[in-house]
Amino acid sequence: MRVVIAEDSVLLREGIARVLTEEGFEVAAQVGDADELQRAVKRTKPDVAIVDVRMPPTQTDEGARAAEEIRAQHPDVGVLVLSQIVEARRALKLFSERPEGFGYLLKDRVLQIDEFVESVRRVGRGGTAIDPEVVAQLVGRRAAEGPLDELTPREREVLGLMAEGRSNKAICDKLFLSPKTVETHVNSIFGKLNLPQAPDDHRRVLAVLTFLRA
Amino acid sequence: MTRAVRIGLLVLGAGFGVVAYRAQINGLGTTVLHVPGPSGTHTVGPFTTSGRSFAVVAVGIAFIAAGAIAWSTRYRNRIAPLMIATGFLWLARQLRYSHNSALFTLFFLFGDLAYAMAGHVALAYPSGRVRDKWELWLVRAGYTSVLLFNFLILLFYDGNVRLHQFDPSKRRSFLLFWANDAVALKIQEIFVAFFYGLLASLFIALIVRRFIQATPRARRLLAPLLLAVAVAALRSVWECIFTFVDRPPSIAYNELFWWQIFGFIAFLIAIVDGLLRARLAHAGVGDLVLELERTPQHRLGETLSRALRDRTLEIAFWVPNRGEYVDAFGRTIVLPTDGIRAVTKLDSDGEPVAALIHDPSLLEDPTLVGAAAAAARLSLENARLHAETRAQLAQVQESRARIVTAADEERRRIERDIHDGAQQRLVALGLQLRSAQRTAGAADDPQLRKLLEGTIAELQVAVDELRELARGVHPAILTEDGLCAALEALATRSPFPIALDVEDERLPEPVEATAYFVACEALANVGKHSSASNVTVEAHRHNGVLTVEIDDDGVGGASAQNGSGLRGLADRVEALGGRLVIDSPDGGGTRIVAEIPCAS
Repeated sequence: MRVVIAEDSVLLREGIARVLTEEGFEVAAQVGDADELQRAVKRTKPDVAIVDVRMPPTQTDEGARAAEEIRAQHPDVGVLVLSQIVEARRALKLFSERPEGFGYLLKDRVLQIDEFVESVRRVGRGGTAIDPEVVAQLVGRRAAEGPLDELTPREREVLGLMAEGRSNKAICDKLFLSPKTVETHVNSIFGKLNLPQAPDDHRRVLAVLTFLRA
Repeated sequence: MTRAVRIGLLVLGAGFGVVAYRAQINGLGTTVLHVPGPSGTHTVGPFTTSGRSFAVVAVGIAFIAAGAIAWSTRYRNRIAPLMIATGFLWLARQLRYSHNSALFTLFFLFGDLAYAMAGHVALAYPSGRVRDKWELWLVRAGYTSVLLFNFLILLFYDGNVRLHQFDPSKRRSFLLFWANDAVALKIQEIFVAFFYGLLASLFIALIVRRFIQATPRARRLLAPLLLAVAVAALRSVWECIFTFVDRPPSIAYNELFWWQIFGFIAFLIAIVDGLLRARLAHAGVGDLVLELERTPQHRLGETLSRALRDRTLEIAFWVPNRGEYVDAFGRTIVLPTDGIRAVTKLDSDGEPVAALIHDPSLLEDPTLVGAAAAAARLSLENARLHAETRAQLAQVQESRARIVTAADEERRRIERDIHDGAQQRLVALGLQLRSAQRTAGAADDPQLRKLLEGTIAELQVAVDELRELARGVHPAILTEDGLCAALEALATRSPFPIALDVEDERLPEPVEATAYFVACEALANVGKHSSASNVTVEAHRHNGVLTVEIDDDGVGGASAQNGSGLRGLADRVEALGGRLVIDSPDGGGTRIVAEIPCAS
């Protein structure tokens, strides 16, 4: 899998590159600002662009804007946005209606190498990786009212993992449950929240996120 | 001039008036005026009533009386003697109708000076001086032409023909040098055209010019006077025209005569009125002293403006430590130097106190502004101190606002430094430890592996703490997405539910930051002390004021005094010119309202 890394801190950029290389990724380019990123994506056509939100020259949201442009111009390139802070509002704005091939994670998630690598892979395959912190904010926002109250704690856990973009298998691994149990939980959640069953993971994420943002 | 002298002058004038009246009646009253025109002479009169003569004499006496009044006011300048002289000359002029040849010669020669001098009075009013070379030239031309032409006429005139407007038949000129009535008549025609025609027209033009150039205040005062004198002068022009052109029947000689009389009387009334007004203004200065005691500092300007009858008057107070003038609210004023507005500076012991910026026409009576300023000096000094205090207050207010803004800017910088510096480095460090861990795994050193795992976990905690610290210093979302987003994020993380009602719009950064920190601190207090179950946060902008309101139904009893962060918040809100209201009765919940002015 080919990745492009856009991060203005050289130390961090090289650290991420090393980790990904060791995990079998091909790092096609490492860049330090948004313009270089655009050119690198156009040139190397990576599977995933890993983008820091804040980049020179203003250190505000160059990365976020570059990410939006890449998603608009190269729909087949997955974009994983890394940020020092994550906000649900930002996340919703960034993936807008299309969580496919999109990730939004706290920067320090890279320290959990296995999970991080799994997230990059997921985004590269067109999946979704939403930071647990964002999901917690979304769930917290909806918790005060309505149908979320009816979920069991375990079901809530499963809902959060679904919202992060994980597949059933990933949920099984994470919670040490059997596929059948997870399947049961998922069905129960969709029933209680009155959501239509989704045929694949992508649409399942969309359904869950749409429910949470409402 | 004493009262006795004034009365004496008037008595003299009245006596002289009687003589002039008799001269008019004897010389003119019983005769027919032969008014010549291009197509032959036509006659006016006989004047069976003495009304005309009476009116003419009345104008002369009125000039003397007005001059005497002028002398009694502060206009003790050249205008008063000029008016009195005009009056006497005017009366003397009537003696040209005398059958006595000596009187005829003398007053034929000098009598018309009365008209020239009346014009001089009008042009010199109220300062006593003509304004520029045009007016000076006109006055000189008037005096010179009267003397020159009348002298020339007397050289040739021997009493056999009628002159224009006037029939001195049977009077003899003492100056007769070469009797030739035709030459005398020609000279008189030239005189009429020059003096009554040209000079009178120029006079009207200068009067109109003066009106146009006058400042609004002067225009208000001058308008009736200038109109009256223009009417009087217009008659001269008409009569000049009808010397050379046939008079249309609609414009009777008599009517024009009465116009002129009316014009002169109105002119004098306007002068006396103006003088009395000026005197009233001085009297107003007397009242000013009393009135100033009741006047609040910031209305001093209005009171002075009323006393001096100048609606445009402004007061500028001197602020020594700033070295500049300010208005009553402490705003800087630059004194005008363009001459359109006049400036009168007031000193006290050589130190500037204040300056009056006013209509230049006030300077025509230089004692007036000085008197008003003297009356107002104490109040002005007082007001100056007020203005100075206000100016300092304004400075302090500005510097408070700057301090808040600078502190916010500093917080933002620290937040950025934490994220982009320390945090970034820690994550990079963590990645290096992961590599080390991998190497340790390869070398099959489980103890080292475990140690590194623990270190990385600690590092992760440090990163989280740093993130929380940065958020507390200045949340990035506030800078990037504004107040609504920041409050939403705050509500999301809050351990208790918060109902938000906040407009999603961007406001100036200091306003957003202040509103955010107010809500933050208030909510922290709710969490710590109040055991509330319902908490609402509202923020709405209305008429340029952002109102942030945080309500809870907890135990209440919060105040800015008891060492909570509320005092600091109140300072912060006040620094932006707003206010913080805390309503927190014991057991009755807490309501904190911050009103923050915001321009956009």
